[in-house]
Amino acid sequence: METFLLTDLSIEKDRTPGWHVVKDAGEVFQMGDGTWVLTSTDAVRFACRHPEIFSSAEAFRTAGVPVPLVPVAIDPPDHTKYRRVLDPLLSPRVVNAMEDRLRAQVRDLVAAFASTGRCDVVTDIAKLYPTQVFVTLFGLPLADRDQLVRWVEICNEHSTHGTADPNPTVVEAAMAMFRYVQHFIDEKRQNPGDDVLSTVLALKGDEAWSNEEVLGLIWLVLVAGLDTVTGAIGFTMLYLARNRDLRRKLVADPGLIPPFIEEVLRIEPPAPTTSRVTTQEVELCGVRIPAGAPVMLCLAAANRDPEKFEHPDDIDTAQKERGHLTFGGGIHRCLGAHLARRELRLVVEEFHKQIPEYEIAPGFEPEVVWPSATLHLRSLPLVFPVPGGAS
Amino acid sequence: MKRLVIDYQLCSGNGRCFVVAPELFTDDDRGYGHVIGDGSIGDDHLELARRAVIACPEQAIAITDDQGPPGSEDGPS
Repeated sequence: METFLLTDLSIEKDRTPGWHVVKDAGEVFQMGDGTWVLTSTDAVRFACRHPEIFSSAEAFRTAGVPVPLVPVAIDPPDHTKYRRVLDPLLSPRVVNAMEDRLRAQVRDLVAAFASTGRCDVVTDIAKLYPTQVFVTLFGLPLADRDQLVRWVEICNEHSTHGTADPNPTVVEAAMAMFRYVQHFIDEKRQNPGDDVLSTVLALKGDEAWSNEEVLGLIWLVLVAGLDTVTGAIGFTMLYLARNRDLRRKLVADPGLIPPFIEEVLRIEPPAPTTSRVTTQEVELCGVRIPAGAPVMLCLAAANRDPEKFEHPDDIDTAQKERGHLTFGGGIHRCLGAHLARRELRLVVEEFHKQIPEYEIAPGFEPEVVWPSATLHLRSLPLVFPVPGGAS
Repeated sequence: MKRLVIDYQLCSGNGRCFVVAPELFTDDDRGYGHVIGDGSIGDDHLELARRAVIACPEQAIAITDDQGPPGSEDGPS
């Protein structure tokens, strides 16, 4: 048993030493609070492949949300029913069909500050764009973006600080968000559109979802699917801001953008861990974990496997893709993975078309918010020359 | 002749195979990968096939000799 907790790690400025501490504690070990941590690719994969032993539903039982978080908090066999509906709604083909609209949106976000000579990647793109894509996908008004961003921020800040009862501000934000979502569920039942929400609501008979299930799905996307992309956009731009040669290479050869994004996702997973609870005693990598035990799959540590990667802690666009675990795996792998990857590529492409040269504001040291369930930069101010400007 | 097979007990629609090796894999409406044709690969595509094998986060892709194991083409559940 190790005495430390993940929250003890100092990873604000650099995640590498922290994930090494976790990795060095063993493939499977128990933390100071009794939680078991899986840190190797083999251990994490085993847990992903055996949802009957490592239950996601049990891990979400204590999340304190009044609706079922569909589909992450559902185990098989019910899980299959949801994924059959949701997979096609978020497939690469659907994302391809949306690409022009999504590209135009990020182009506009960048254009809003391109002539000012400065921006904050976190507040000006990373926080706005994922929510914009969400409202586009679910057929909600774009004008509601900023309100949603604020509600989600309040709810996520609370979940970060853990077990204490939510304060009135959080309850108020959560209730307002539920009312807002319910309003659109009711409206789209009456007047369906060509969007994900309408498609789910149109299911009939045995396939039909209850109101709670629909609310749960939207809740999950809002609290788990937005700030993770916010985090990934920030990390992507951070590595480019710090490495001029790398970004010039990507601008010269856009074909390198996807492998670069895979590398950023590998070494900076915005959701560094995911939780399960064992349903039975299990032996994993020679360690016996009892039944009913809380388990944390440390995707961040597993992604830095020195046996798989020549340079496990560095971005290497020439490195062959070796199946990182940032999106999890098995039946609960991230539903939004295809969309997230596309958002990241479009941000990189459109940002550099308008602003090819930039640097981090002098004297600023980027830090992630920590402790936190998801990792994202607090701020990433950039400065850049303006075309025709004096600077 | 070498042949690519996807184990749909393991495949969960990560979709990396048809991104890494579009010459050898295609996608369906749900975003699951499928081998093109009967999955047989010529020597010129062997390296690409190996890249797809290691890129799969589920380790669901294998390169087999001749016919491949029975039942491997059932498709995603």
